[in-house]
Amino acid sequence: MLKFSEQQEMMRKVVRDFVEKEIAPIARQIDEEDTCPVELFQKMAPLGINGVFVPAKYGGAGLGYTEMALVVEEIGRHAAGLALGLVAHYMGVYAIMTWGSEEQKQKYLPIICSGGFSGLSVTEPGGGSDFTGQKSTGRLVDGEWVLNGRKCFITNSHCMSVNVVTVRTGEDAKGRPQISAFIIEGDAPGHTPGRKEKKAGLRGSYTGEIILNNVRLAPDNLLGKPGEGAKISLGTLGEMGRAGTAAAALGILRGCLEESVKYARERIIYGKPLSNLVNIQLIIAQNRTDYEAARLLTYNAAGLKDAGKPCTSEVSMAKFFATEASVNAAKRTMDLMGAYGVITDYPVSRFLRDAVTTIPACGTSHIMQVIIAGAELRK
Amino acid sequence: MPNQPGSVWVIAEKSREKIAEVTLELLGKAREIAARRGSPLTTAVLPGKDADLSAAELIAHGADQVILIEDPRLEPYQNDTCALVLEELIKRHRPEIVLFGASYRGSELSATVAARLQTGLSAHCIDLKVDDRKGLVQVVPAFGGIVYSEILCPEARPQMASVKPGVFSKPARDAARTGTVLKEKATVLEGYQSPLKAVRVVQRQPPELPLEKAETIVVGGWGVGPDMWDYLEQIAGELEGAVGCTRPALDEGWTRGEHTMIGTSGKTVRPRVYMGFGVSGSAHHVVGMKDSGIVINVNNDPEAPVFQVSDYSVIADAGVILPVLLEKIKEHKGI
Amino acid sequence: MNIAVCVKPVPDPGHYNRITINPETKLLDRKGIPVIINPVDKNAIEAALQLKEQFGGKVVLVSMAPPDAGEILKEALAMGVDEAYLLSDRAFAGSDTLATAKILAAGLKKIGQLDLILTGSESADSGTNHVPSQLGELLGLPHLNHITELSLELPVLKMKAKIENGYVEYEGSLPMVLGVAREINTPRYTTLMGVVMAQKKPFTIWGLNDLGLDPAGTGLSGSPTQPGDLLFPRHGRKAEILEGEPEAVAGKIVAILRGAGVLP
Repeated sequence: MLKFSEQQEMMRKVVRDFVEKEIAPIARQIDEEDTCPVELFQKMAPLGINGVFVPAKYGGAGLGYTEMALVVEEIGRHAAGLALGLVAHYMGVYAIMTWGSEEQKQKYLPIICSGGFSGLSVTEPGGGSDFTGQKSTGRLVDGEWVLNGRKCFITNSHCMSVNVVTVRTGEDAKGRPQISAFIIEGDAPGHTPGRKEKKAGLRGSYTGEIILNNVRLAPDNLLGKPGEGAKISLGTLGEMGRAGTAAAALGILRGCLEESVKYARERIIYGKPLSNLVNIQLIIAQNRTDYEAARLLTYNAAGLKDAGKPCTSEVSMAKFFATEASVNAAKRTMDLMGAYGVITDYPVSRFLRDAVTTIPACGTSHIMQVIIAGAELRK
Repeated sequence: MPNQPGSVWVIAEKSREKIAEVTLELLGKAREIAARRGSPLTTAVLPGKDADLSAAELIAHGADQVILIEDPRLEPYQNDTCALVLEELIKRHRPEIVLFGASYRGSELSATVAARLQTGLSAHCIDLKVDDRKGLVQVVPAFGGIVYSEILCPEARPQMASVKPGVFSKPARDAARTGTVLKEKATVLEGYQSPLKAVRVVQRQPPELPLEKAETIVVGGWGVGPDMWDYLEQIAGELEGAVGCTRPALDEGWTRGEHTMIGTSGKTVRPRVYMGFGVSGSAHHVVGMKDSGIVINVNNDPEAPVFQVSDYSVIADAGVILPVLLEKIKEHKGI
Repeated sequence: MNIAVCVKPVPDPGHYNRITINPETKLLDRKGIPVIINPVDKNAIEAALQLKEQFGGKVVLVSMAPPDAGEILKEALAMGVDEAYLLSDRAFAGSDTLATAKILAAGLKKIGQLDLILTGSESADSGTNHVPSQLGELLGLPHLNHITELSLELPVLKMKAKIENGYVEYEGSLPMVLGVAREINTPRYTTLMGVVMAQKKPFTIWGLNDLGLDPAGTGLSGSPTQPGDLLFPRHGRKAEILEGEPEAVAGKIVAILRGAGVLP
C-alpha cells in the first residue's frame, strides 16, 4: 500500500504552497514566452528543492527520491517545462553525487544546491538513443584533457553552472568506443551554449546545443574512471532522469484530472452540470485511473530507489506509462472541454503539448519498452 | 446630574480637530437606542482643545450631555492614558451602553477598556437593535460577511460595541438643541508614567475625494485589469465621483491605496450611485456597499454573486463596456 | 530574546463560500473546509523569526485551538519556530475575545519569562482586532496594535502603528504585546529542511487543569458576550438585466445616471 509519512505530506503541502504562489501565476507566461525563469530557480534553492536528495553536508536537503518525485509532481502540475528543467538539473547533481570523488562533491554540489543550474550533456546529432554513436572527443594532452564536439537537445544548455558531459576518450581492446564523463564549469573557456531549440511543449526551459571548443580540463575534472561514461550517464538517465520525467508527467496527469473535474462541475449544459453526462464521467474515470496507476508506478519506483534496491525496470515502466498516459489524459480533457479546450486561456492545450514532449525526454517510449522487455526476457 | 446610571454613551473621536463623522453617525443611532429605552443620551469626549465648540457640535447632533476632559496629559493621543480615564469615568457614571467608532484608535481603545472592565465588546457592528428581552443586540459580520451574527451581552455591564464609519447615517444638525456640559478631570492619571511614548503622528490626507463623501463611486474589481483601470478614474472624473476598489485589485497594486478599498476590512459606503466593474461581489465587499442607493454592476460572469446585490446588471466584459461608457458620458455632456 | 507568537487556526478564507452553519447549535460546520494559520499571524511569526536571527534566543508558539490543530502548528514549527504550545480543552469552546485572552495569558504565564509577545492584528474569521489589546491588559503589559514597522535598538523598541491615512511612531521597551499588520513583512516560505526539523521540536498540549483555570472563567460561561441568532444577509434588490450591444448598454447606463441625478 502506498503511504506517505506525515513528514512527506507536510513537505508536499509546503511545496504546493510555494508552487501555487510563485509558479502557477506565471506558468502560462513562461510557456508563451518560452523563457527559463532563472530567478525562480534561485528562489527554490533555499527551500531545499534544488538539492532535495543531496546529503546535508554538501548543501542538500538530505532527503530521498520519494521527496524528489513529490517535488517534481507538484511543480509539474502547473509548469511541466520548469519541472523538466529541474529534472535535467537533478541529473547533473545525481551524477556528481553518485560517482564523484569527495573533493568533487565538496566543490560542486554546494554550488548546484544553492541556485546554480546543472545538467547532463550526452545526446548528439549522431547519437541519442544510440548512445555509442556520440562523436565528441576528449584527448589527454600534456596532462590536461582537451574536449571537442557538439551536444544537442541538452536541457539547461543556456544557464549551465556545472555541466556533466560525456565524450569519447578512446577505444577499448576490442575497438569499441570508450566513453568518459567530465565535470565542466559553465564558464570554462571553450564551453558555450549554441543553438537554442524552440520546443512544442515543455517550454520555459532552455533546450539547446552545448559546444565544446578545445575545452581544457584538469585531470580532477574526470568524473569516475576513464571508460565509465556509459555507466554514469546511463545510470543517471536510467534511475534519475526517467524517474523525474515520470513524476513530471504525473503532475500533468493531475492537472488534467483537476481541470476536467472542475470544468465538468461548473459547465452547465442542457440545464445541468456537464458531469451528469455518462460520457463525461467515463473521461473523468479514465483520467482518475491513469493518474492513480501512474502515481503508484512512480512512487513505487522511487521507494525502491530509496531502499537501495535495483529499480531500472520499475523506473522505465513508470516513465513509459506516465508519459503516454499524460498524452491520453490531456487529449481526453481537451475533448471534455469542447471548444474551450483549444482556447489558450485554459491550460489544457499546454498540458497536451507538454505531455507529448515528455515522450522523447530521457529516452523514448520505444527505448523504455526495449529495456522492460529486455529485463523480462533475461529472467 | 453627574451620575446617570443606565444611559447610552458614545465615545467621541476627533479627526483633524473636528468631531469625526463616525461619532456623529453613532449619535444618531444612539439617540434611537436611548429613546427606545427611555434613558438620556450622553457623550464623552476626551482631549479637548476648542472643547466648547466640540460640545456644541455634539449637542446639535443629538447628545443630551457632553462630558469633557481637558488635560495636557491626554495630548498627544495615547491608548493607555485614554483607556485609564475612560475606565474611571465608566466605573463612576455607570452607563448601560457604550459605543465606539471602529477607527484604528477606537477599536484599540474599546478592546482595552473592555478588558479593564471585564465586560463584553462586539467589533465593527453593522447594526444595533434594542430588544426588551435580549438587551442591546449587536449584529456583526462573520466569516467575511457570509453570515451575520447577533451578539448579546446578557450580564456584564456596560454593553459595548464598535461601529465603522459609514454604517449609520449622520443625523441632521439642529442648532436649536440644548444639552448640558460636564467638565471632568483626569485625576486618575496622577502619578501615571506611560511605558509608551507617541513620538510623531504622520497623516496625509489623500488628494482625491474620499469615498464617504462621494455621491457616485465607480468601483473596480479583479475583472478590470491594470490596462483598463484608468477608465474608472476618467468616468469618476466626469461624474465628479470617486474610484473605489476591491481587495484583489488593491493587492495587485492597480489602485490609489487602501483608503479606496470597500469591504469589511476597508470602508463602508452608501453613495447615491455605486457602479461596479469586474467586481465579483464577495461577501466581505458586499458588507461595505450593501446600503448604496442605486447599484449597477458590469461583470462577464452571469453567476457572479454581485448580481444578487445589484439593481441593474450588465453581463459583459468590463474592458469592453468601460471605453464605450466613457464616450457615451462625454457625448452626453457635449464634450 | 524569548518571543512568543499567538496564532489562531482559521477556516481557509478561500473556502468561505462553502461554509454552512448549523442553525440550532449556531456552530460552524467544519466538514471539508481546510484550516490554515490565520494569514496575518504568519507575519507575526516572521517578525519573531527575524528578531531571533538578529538577537538570538527562542521563538515559541501558543495557540488556543481544538486538539486537531496540531498539524497547523507543526507547519509553524517548520517555519523556524522552536516550540509549540497548544491550549486545548472542551471547556474553552465558545470563548469570546476576553475569554480567549484569559486562556492565552494563562498559557503565556506558564511558559515563563518572555520578552515580547506578538500576534496578528486580527483574525480572518471574526476580525475583531481585540486580542492583542486584551492580552496586553490581562498580562499587565504595555500593548499596541496594527504595527507596520518594528525595530529593536536595545533597550528601545521603535514601532509604527497604522492609523487612517498614516501612522504614529512610538517608542517603548520590552516586554510588550504587539499586534502586527500584514504590511510589516513578507512571511518566509517554509523549507523542506524546516519540515524535517519540525518533527523533532517540542510540542506540548495544555488543558484547563494544566493552566490552573476555572471552567466558569473559560469558554461560553467565561465570555461576557454570547452568540445570538444567525442571519443570512438578504439584499432584496432585483437585478434588471441591461441587454444589448455595448453602445446600447452604455446608453441605458447614462439614462440611469441621469435619473439618479448624478449626470445632468
